[in-house]
Amino acid sequence: MEPLLKLQGVSVNFSGLRALDNVTFNAHAGEVRAVIGPNGAGKTTLFNAISGYVPSTEGDIHFKGEPIHGLAPHEISVKGVRRTFQNGGLFPQMTALENVLAGLHVHINSSFLGIVLGLGEAREAEREGLARARRLLDLMDLGAIADQPVKDLSGGQQRMVEIVRTLATDPPLLLLDEPVVGLSPPMRDRMMEIIRRLAGEEGLGIMLIEHVIDLVMSGSDIIVVLSSGVMIAEGPPKEIRQNREVLEAYLGHA
Amino acid sequence: MSETTTPSVLSMTWWRWICYLIPIVALVIPFFANEYLLWVVNAILVYILVTVGFNIVIGNLGQLAFASTAFFGIGAYTTAILMVYIGIPYALAIVASAVAGGLAGFLASVTALRGIRLYYLAIITLAFGELMRWVYLHGDKVTSGSDGLLMPQSSFFGVTLDSEVTKFYVFLLLTVLVVKATSNLMQSRIGRAFVAIRDNEASTASLGIHTARYIVLAFVWSGAVVGIAGAMYAALIERVFPESFGLTEVIVHFGMVLVGGTGSIVGSVIGAITLTTLPELFRQFPGMDELFFGIVIVLVLLFLPKGLVSLLRRISPVFNERYYRD
Repeated sequence: MEPLLKLQGVSVNFSGLRALDNVTFNAHAGEVRAVIGPNGAGKTTLFNAISGYVPSTEGDIHFKGEPIHGLAPHEISVKGVRRTFQNGGLFPQMTALENVLAGLHVHINSSFLGIVLGLGEAREAEREGLARARRLLDLMDLGAIADQPVKDLSGGQQRMVEIVRTLATDPPLLLLDEPVVGLSPPMRDRMMEIIRRLAGEEGLGIMLIEHVIDLVMSGSDIIVVLSSGVMIAEGPPKEIRQNREVLEAYLGHA
Repeated sequence: MSETTTPSVLSMTWWRWICYLIPIVALVIPFFANEYLLWVVNAILVYILVTVGFNIVIGNLGQLAFASTAFFGIGAYTTAILMVYIGIPYALAIVASAVAGGLAGFLASVTALRGIRLYYLAIITLAFGELMRWVYLHGDKVTSGSDGLLMPQSSFFGVTLDSEVTKFYVFLLLTVLVVKATSNLMQSRIGRAFVAIRDNEASTASLGIHTARYIVLAFVWSGAVVGIAGAMYAALIERVFPESFGLTEVIVHFGMVLVGGTGSIVGSVIGAITLTTLPELFRQFPGMDELFFGIVIVLVLLFLPKGLVSLLRRISPVFNERYYRD
């Protein structure tokens, strides 16, 4: 099976600092792939390199067989790689519904002239987007909070809305940067359940950065371990648990 | 909080109809207003467009770009120059002013696109305005320098703009059309993209939105709207001279945006009405009028930091425009 995402010797330099060093792996559809590692290991840099927010200094990144390195973030998003942000990427002044509508932007087919002149086709396109956004929120049991500004929502609800927003255009690959950080344990379990379902039932490829090792071990298919920008291990949770190098990176010399 | 919980005397639809009725009711103003009062109303119509245009960049896009006087002056001079030297009809001059304002908006957006933001963008755009004033002063072969350019008699599709009454009807038409078009734009996916960029530019790009394109579009639309206001201003004051487009003018524009309410079209209209009318009332206290003007701005911002429109929002949720909430 052709991998969804293919990284080949990807490196990122920040003025002398090697934030990512020769990272190579393949990610597949229907798979939850966790990226772990100590602080400063390059996890978010890896996500930024894939989604176009930082240029990779060396190496190739292919998505569905097409090269995507060197493309701008919005181009990579249109190709079907969507991401969330560690500190939350929602638009606080907008409601949950409007946030999801913004996520549907590229799917709302209205012309500039049609919009300015208030033509029927433009209004129809907006109405369709609105109905779809509402449906998506309903599917995630967020219908009740659809019309509330997201700044008034709880941390857990905000994370859910952000995920719904990335899902709005049915992207084949999701990059979730710490999707459960700051959530209560029951919320965390629920979020991991949703992530598992998206991969298992919808066949999405999901990569996530996570610090809670228990969740990673129980919720992911493959774990990638980064340390100082180098990928020191890749494999199913069982293997990673017994990997000496990983234990050393996490616990110092074991 | 959520709109649905706000109690309302009248339904949303009713309020919307009232908003649509205002320009129709305004049609009778010339029947009871004298020339002076009508001049003030015409000035209000000009400043409504200035504020609506300026507010797009300040309130919706959230960029501290103070190029509004540059757009305003460029619009006014474009109309004056084309009419004086080439003798083109006023209607065509308005289109030319919109294009010139839009081009100036494009220029201003380039600085923002190059990562010049916040205070740096503020100072560069203020300098742009002052540079344009220098050009009007020193390009005296074309602009007549500080004497200004005397506007020829203009007519708009056969309507001669020789009285405040005819100007009123033409200005009202232009203002309603441009405000409605801008309102359509702001409530669409495009207006949503502007606000998204204001709130979080990086995550906006992650949704497939070409942020640079929308930053340019916001500036161009803003420049075109204020450029049209400039063309109206030229017809209103009949002599276009550099001193109309100085730093005090920027403060007036910015004051209108803040007093009315950032990111709100209704707020822009209220801000323009308030800060065009008050100086006229303060005229009876010579030497104190600027002080009063300043005090009004300070008081509003102190007690209604979201502008006068926030008062209306308490009355009816229909004034809760999309993408901007208290």
